[in-house]
Amino acid sequence: MPLTIALPKGALYDNAAACLRAVGIAVPEDPGRKLTVEVPGGMRVVFLRSADVPAYVEFGAADCGIVGADVLWESERRIAELLDLQFGRCRLVVAGRRTDRYHEGAPLPTFLRVATKFVRSAEAHFADKDLPVQIVRLHGSVELGPLVGLSDLIVDLVATGKTLREHDLVEIEEIATSTARFIVNPVRFRAKYEPIVTLLRKLNAQAGA
Amino acid sequence: MRLPAGTRDWLPEELRRKRALENTLRGVFERWNYVEVQTPGIERFDVLEMGIGETVVGKTFLFADRGGVQLALRPEMTTPIARLVSTRLREAPLPLRLSYVQTTYRYEEPQEGRMREFTQAGLELIGPESADADAESLFSAIEALDSLGLDDARFDINHWAIADAVLRHFEVGDDAIEGCKRLVADRNLVALRALLAEHGYESAIEPLVSFATMRGGEEVLERLRPLCGTAGGREALERLGDLLRRAAERGYGKRVGVDPSMLRDFSYYTGFVFEGFIGEVGFSLCGGGRYDDLLPRFGYDAGAVGWSAGVERLLLALERRRTGRQ
Repeated sequence: MPLTIALPKGALYDNAAACLRAVGIAVPEDPGRKLTVEVPGGMRVVFLRSADVPAYVEFGAADCGIVGADVLWESERRIAELLDLQFGRCRLVVAGRRTDRYHEGAPLPTFLRVATKFVRSAEAHFADKDLPVQIVRLHGSVELGPLVGLSDLIVDLVATGKTLREHDLVEIEEIATSTARFIVNPVRFRAKYEPIVTLLRKLNAQAGA
Repeated sequence: MRLPAGTRDWLPEELRRKRALENTLRGVFERWNYVEVQTPGIERFDVLEMGIGETVVGKTFLFADRGGVQLALRPEMTTPIARLVSTRLREAPLPLRLSYVQTTYRYEEPQEGRMREFTQAGLELIGPESADADAESLFSAIEALDSLGLDDARFDINHWAIADAVLRHFEVGDDAIEGCKRLVADRNLVALRALLAEHGYESAIEPLVSFATMRGGEEVLERLRPLCGTAGGREALERLGDLLRRAAERGYGKRVGVDPSMLRDFSYYTGFVFEGFIGEVGFSLCGGGRYDDLLPRFGYDAGAVGWSAGVERLLLALERRRTGRQ
């Protein structure tokens, strides 16, 4: 049975593809409009939106895949997280307007509005702090939220912090760090044990290198 | 005129196939001398709560009757059967062999072959705590899948005492042992590494990650032997070795393996556990194990071992077979 590997298109793709090439799986530099490629050695790679990788793996449409931890936080999927691949590092942070001075300890409004794409993570974070918040789910340009008064704060991923600075936002606190993960379907781990464990070993050596 | 989320109708042709499958399973249950019982679709929540764990409680449909008594749609069958055995069948001579084919309900995201309303078929063997009983449970499950034409389904077996023994062997203390067990069972190796590091068990990380990726036949038991120093661990390896030998004698040698990380549900299994699966479906088709602590919670001192299969999942597996789609 060939192994089907799910790869995320988008920000993680270059690193994820390079990572697979480094362990001998010939994935293309750029998938273009391809949805799937057959790779020599009895493997198939499917190219997906990052957020769809966990569902494909959970349902067994792919045996395994590479995905950011940030995507896993937002999905409640039964998958096994076998390895931290170390690339694609970014941080999930709470940020606000510099002029609101929340980062310097200015008191937060008693009822907070928070704009984010990371609804589950944001809800969990503020619930842990016992702060009542209204989460506004956005699908892009979250940093706009506080600038136009949609929200008091944002929860978003930052890699370099450039986007925050450009919009005069400052980090208030870090919620978590995300890196790329190698995930598998728990039953396929058994059903295709040899090829999966072999791939895991190679990826492990690669991630440790 | 819509249906509640996670439910479906069964039209005549679909229902004909489902009934045929259920009746094939009933035939196997009868051959193994199990008699069928039926329990109510709704149970008192305080009774169910004695059996089901936290995870399942969170997925249980709850409501109150007009008197304010909290009721639940049964999320599984083992706990209702434990209630039945410890009350109505208390005086019945042991061993008791009971089977069921019943609708169960879980409030969760529909999964492959499992909606919020789904059918469970299974067996419970009440009384003996012997290796014979474990073997009977496993082999009846293999025969059940065989009878459906899934005669290449594979079965992984394990015993709860192994993970305990191995964690103790690497000197993981009480502060982390339960957390580690859950992460091993989920094969969340990233979080396992983090938890061990956080509690200062650095030297245990690589060996335990290696443990959590083990799977195979007799050779896995050999690899585990030096790691299972506790009496419970040694006995567990004996039991699994014995089961592998019995499986080989029955011609199932190639179909039964050992996965020492598989623990299944945390709320009642105490020893032997197993799951059956095929390559085409990303979920297990059936699973079960020994739950010697459950009946005592209902005030009845007897061990038990059993398994259940998701009928809709079996139908899906057969459909995949028929159409050749993975």
